[in-house]
Amino acid sequence: MKTLLVTMLLFPAAGALFQALPGRMLSRRLAGWAACAAVGGALAAAVAALSLTLGQGQTWAVNLCGWFAGEGFQAQASLLYDPLAGFMAVTVTFVSLLIHLYSTAFMREEQGHARYFCYLNLFVFFMLVITLADDLLFLFLGWEGVGFCSYALIGFWHQDTANVTAGGKAFILTRLGDLGLVAALALMAGMWGGASVSRVASEAASLAPQTSMILGFLILLAAVGKSAQLPLTVWLPDAMAGPTPVSALIHAATMVTAGAYLLMRLTPLLAHAPVVLEATALLGAFTALYGALAALAQRDIKRILAYSTISQVGYMFLAAGCGDVPGTMFHLMAHAFFKSLLFMAAGCLIRAVGGEHDIFRMGARLRREMPGVFVLFLCGAVSLAAMPLTAGYFSKGRVLADALSLPGWPYVLSAVLGLEAAFVTALYAFRLVYTALAGSPDDPAPHTPDTGMRRMELPLWPLAALALVFGFVNPPEVFGLKAWLDAALAGGLGHPAHAAPPIRVEMFVAALDAALALAGLWLARRMYGPGRKPASDAAWMSATGFGLDALYATLVAGPYRKLADFTAVRVDGAVLDRGVGGGAKAVLALSRAVSSLATGRVSTTLRALLASMAVALVYLALRLA
Amino acid sequence: MIVPFEHILILATALFVLGAACAAMRRSVIMILVGVEIMITGAAVAFVGASLRWQTLDGQAAVILVMGLAAAEVAFGLALLVHARRRGGSLEADGYTGLKG
Repeated sequence: MKTLLVTMLLFPAAGALFQALPGRMLSRRLAGWAACAAVGGALAAAVAALSLTLGQGQTWAVNLCGWFAGEGFQAQASLLYDPLAGFMAVTVTFVSLLIHLYSTAFMREEQGHARYFCYLNLFVFFMLVITLADDLLFLFLGWEGVGFCSYALIGFWHQDTANVTAGGKAFILTRLGDLGLVAALALMAGMWGGASVSRVASEAASLAPQTSMILGFLILLAAVGKSAQLPLTVWLPDAMAGPTPVSALIHAATMVTAGAYLLMRLTPLLAHAPVVLEATALLGAFTALYGALAALAQRDIKRILAYSTISQVGYMFLAAGCGDVPGTMFHLMAHAFFKSLLFMAAGCLIRAVGGEHDIFRMGARLRREMPGVFVLFLCGAVSLAAMPLTAGYFSKGRVLADALSLPGWPYVLSAVLGLEAAFVTALYAFRLVYTALAGSPDDPAPHTPDTGMRRMELPLWPLAALALVFGFVNPPEVFGLKAWLDAALAGGLGHPAHAAPPIRVEMFVAALDAALALAGLWLARRMYGPGRKPASDAAWMSATGFGLDALYATLVAGPYRKLADFTAVRVDGAVLDRGVGGGAKAVLALSRAVSSLATGRVSTTLRALLASMAVALVYLALRLA
Repeated sequence: MIVPFEHILILATALFVLGAACAAMRRSVIMILVGVEIMITGAAVAFVGASLRWQTLDGQAAVILVMGLAAAEVAFGLALLVHARRRGGSLEADGYTGLKG
């Protein structure tokens, strides 16, 4: 098992190193394949490791090496492998592999392919570190690593300042959340002299309620930052500045799901802090509705998908808030499949119209010219909209049933919000499909056929199949099928057993969810269907993400900029510069005064010499007397 | 010793002060050199007096060193003199201002 885990980590790390050193000398094609091979190796190791775990329901703790130790504190590069980590690792590597394959076609004409694939491989490596790490400090290494990689990849086209700014925004905003993790780490290190997932699981029961509540909220803050939940959402839509495969990677498999994964991994701790769980559920439900409403008014296809990610990750938080680890993982995997599919299909569409992002300039001719991409996109969209029997239907239904079956007003409220969001999700998903692939735009963007389209389409078919049928690994009991994923995850690390929602609730949710999805479809058809001229200027509040960006600009960035101006002019200019300048002037004047003494005349020197000698003698005489 | 040691010291001091005054007040390089010579002589007198007073030879040995020093100083001074004469015809020491700050 240790060999498998190390292989899993080493493959992408070696791939990144290879891209960084000799990769730039290879041809684009070879470098791309090398990157794919690195992730492919990790996937093979992940699948092998998972197949070893599945029957046994066991956890493996592997200590790679000591990292550093200090006064009563030590950190180790240690791994903890349980079914949850196994499924996460397989999901991450599988989706990443397809994204790598897609990238070889998508980025085949870009400059800096070695840099691109290096960061891509490094991204996968750091995500696997988060997935597998036992020691929380080691996890934190991966946590910061994905932050750095996302920064580097969002700003990949760095000649354009806007892209770099977007990368910086992502970096800074996620850092805010990371403060929570750092604080939690410091607290745990202070209590136990080291922090690890297994330690948390074993000690959580003995913690004081306040302590576990504080730790829980700090970890929730970390997860919120990483997963772009309210109120730290604003970086994700801007992160669309990066290449499309990067968006797919950030949104589907790595980065944003890391927050939800952290919550799942530390569920033993959260289970002892019910307030934190309720807050997580409420926050997730609010974010789900917020993201869905904001997605409804966007024109940029990638921004629609970005808000949709925010909304879907909200559902994961809702599930995590219900304490349902298998449900969270289920939705995480389903979302990874359909969202990466949607992003990469959107990348094909954008390519086909010469880089145009506006869905109101795409239209039905794309469907006719690229039927394959249309089918792919549709598969992703129906899964996102939770049409009955797709992956999204089952996973979202599970989340909502969880929320409905728990007592207490926070869960009732979040269930209601989640149901509303489900309706809006179907509405915006089909608005996207109808407008981008069935509309007849006034001002269509020129069609630019892409010769690599077939190679870009190919890796998407497995995702499309998964987006449709993946739900059957974990159908609700109503359908009379075996909930395989629940059973497989049950052997995990001290997760408190989560009772499946009652059949009554499941039936209600299944019916209501289907009705909501169909209602969304119907309304989208009424509003944006063929032959309709939609009011394309959706100038509502939601078009700007409810002004959250502007709010931050006025409340945080504005005062900060004023303070910066103040310090630059008043403090730096008036006080510091003047002080230093005054000091320099004083020294200069002193040296002038001294230099005037040195006339260079022999007589002056002699007189000075004699005078000082006389003084010295007088002093000596007085001392001796 | 017939002459009291104090008298010798007074003589040495007088010579030293006179030489110093000469060196400090005159401008001509020659007169400065003369002043320095007189100061050295004053010091030498003090050495000899002390040698007699304590009946040791160290003071007289020092005087021989001082004589050598004075000879070297004169050689150096005369070279300076020739240089000054060649340079501008003036023997004024204040003409050398190369070390002006």
